[in-house]
Amino acid sequence: MKAKDLMIPLREYLRPENTLKEAVNILRTAKRGEEKVGVKGLSVLDEKGKLVGMLSMRDILRAVFPFYLSMMDLGDFTWDGMVESIARKSSNRKVGEVMSKVVISVDEGASLMECVDHMIKHNIKRLPVVDKSGKTVGMIYERDVFFEITKAMLDENSGGAK
Amino acid sequence: MTHEVAASSQPFVMDTAFWTATAIFLLAYAAIISEKIHKTIIAIFGAGLILVFKILQQHEAFHIEEFGIDWNVIFLLISMMVIINLMRPTGVFEYIAIKSAKWGKGEPFRIMAIFAVVTAVLSAFLDNVTTVLLITPVTLLIADALEVDPIPYLISCALASNIGGTATLIGDPPNIMIASKAQLDFMAFIYHLAPIVVVIMVFYLFVIKFIWGKKLSTREDLKQRIMAMDEREAIKDPAMLKKSLFVLAVVLTGFVFHGMLHFQPATVALFGAGLLLLLSKTHEPHHILAEVEWPTIFFFMGLFIIVGGVVKVGLIKWMSMQILELTQGNMFATSMVVMWFSAFASAIVDNIPYVATMNPLIVDMARQLWPNLSGTQLLQHPDLMPLWWSLALGACLGGNGSAIGASANVIVVGMSEKAGRKISFMKFMAYGMPIMIMTVIISTIYVWLRYYVLKV
Repeated sequence: MKAKDLMIPLREYLRPENTLKEAVNILRTAKRGEEKVGVKGLSVLDEKGKLVGMLSMRDILRAVFPFYLSMMDLGDFTWDGMVESIARKSSNRKVGEVMSKVVISVDEGASLMECVDHMIKHNIKRLPVVDKSGKTVGMIYERDVFFEITKAMLDENSGGAK
Repeated sequence: MTHEVAASSQPFVMDTAFWTATAIFLLAYAAIISEKIHKTIIAIFGAGLILVFKILQQHEAFHIEEFGIDWNVIFLLISMMVIINLMRPTGVFEYIAIKSAKWGKGEPFRIMAIFAVVTAVLSAFLDNVTTVLLITPVTLLIADALEVDPIPYLISCALASNIGGTATLIGDPPNIMIASKAQLDFMAFIYHLAPIVVVIMVFYLFVIKFIWGKKLSTREDLKQRIMAMDEREAIKDPAMLKKSLFVLAVVLTGFVFHGMLHFQPATVALFGAGLLLLLSKTHEPHHILAEVEWPTIFFFMGLFIIVGGVVKVGLIKWMSMQILELTQGNMFATSMVVMWFSAFASAIVDNIPYVATMNPLIVDMARQLWPNLSGTQLLQHPDLMPLWWSLALGACLGGNGSAIGASANVIVVGMSEKAGRKISFMKFMAYGMPIMIMTVIISTIYVWLRYYVLKV
């Protein structure tokens, strides 16, 4: 099985200049596969369709997390409504400043193990697939890789040598 | 000791070695000021050049106190960093900061004043960078809680840390270097610098009250956010905290008596670091050691070698002769030149390379004034002492003059920017420079009154 066989074709994506408010709205309404609605992360493409980043739930959590809390153990000293108030203030920040800029991607011909390799080493749950011209064509999800592994374990079909 | 005397009594000639060493020294200084290349890289490369051009023999750079690395400074710094790194995870610093904010009863200025005092006291015993790294995150949290502008808090903390650091031998790198060079002990700094630092702090508190006192206000319900905090939750490891406080007490006692017991400060600190590592029962000392600020340590080592090079070729001696000529051997005038020049120089240049250069310069000056003396008789000549204190006061307090004058300022400005509140170079200077000048004027009066009028 290759990356292109497992990927979900990319329909929705974000732009770096989108505000977070726009972004979360797109995340909320984006279609996943045929029937499900709502995704936890999307790729960020520039105007040429080039992949420049990923915006995931974790990035949005990080956007409301004041950096100084990570410097010391101060979580015990925060107050009710702090997250919501920072979230409101952050809603006009741009996707470009919040997204993860280091993007790991694979090409269409990548093996399934290469995908697993990236997911484990870089601790990511979704992996963009790019074609030869560098355009993003789809996304591989940890969950779908997991389903492949499940199938192999239960010996439902032998996907390996296709 | 024979090396020192023999080498320094050599008359110097302005030969190729002189110009090579001078060029390396000046280029290194220029590169450090330009901030285009990391200062540690400049120091290491410059030291390499000093050795490659045989300005210093490797043996001199590594093993001769006068020209090479001052291991007393290096081990004192490393050991204190290890102790702090072991203490940090206990949560004691979070505890102190939250407790202070609650003492402030949620009143914005009261909190600012208490934080300034706490920062100054911590800075007197930890290095200033560590102190502001511990205080600023809490400062930002408190400012968010009270919904007030964090900038006044950040600036006042940075300035207080540079003032507080002046008070003790271990408070600020210039003092560590001066103590090692002049063989001064911990209590000497307490007798000579701590009293004036207390006076300066009192003035400083009035000044910040005048500048920010009326501008800061908050709502009653926001004060409750502070009062609802329970500082006891900060303590993560009570067992380790007890051990840390025990070792800290041992180290501080050691500092108080090290002169009497003829131990170097580095011996005391190294013993403390070893003891706390042992008591911590850690099996992974590499984590603790990796957190030592190695770039700072190597910056010191490289600088010592570069400065050693210009000491050996006689540049420093030449500079000291120029100063003595300027002041015509009048020690009060020399003290004042040293203090004020140090203050403005430290506002522009990192005070570490500055003091690394001034130390041998003052020793050379002493040798010209009292050619028959040596050892502590020379280094601690009663007429020379005010010079050391003037250097310490000027170099430490001078750091407040600009945003790049002290590492603490650089860190605070960086953190403020990260929090989305940029402090411009000019904005920092608008507060820092007048406060620096005020503190140096107070120091001038102090040195004059104590050492030249009252002579105590």
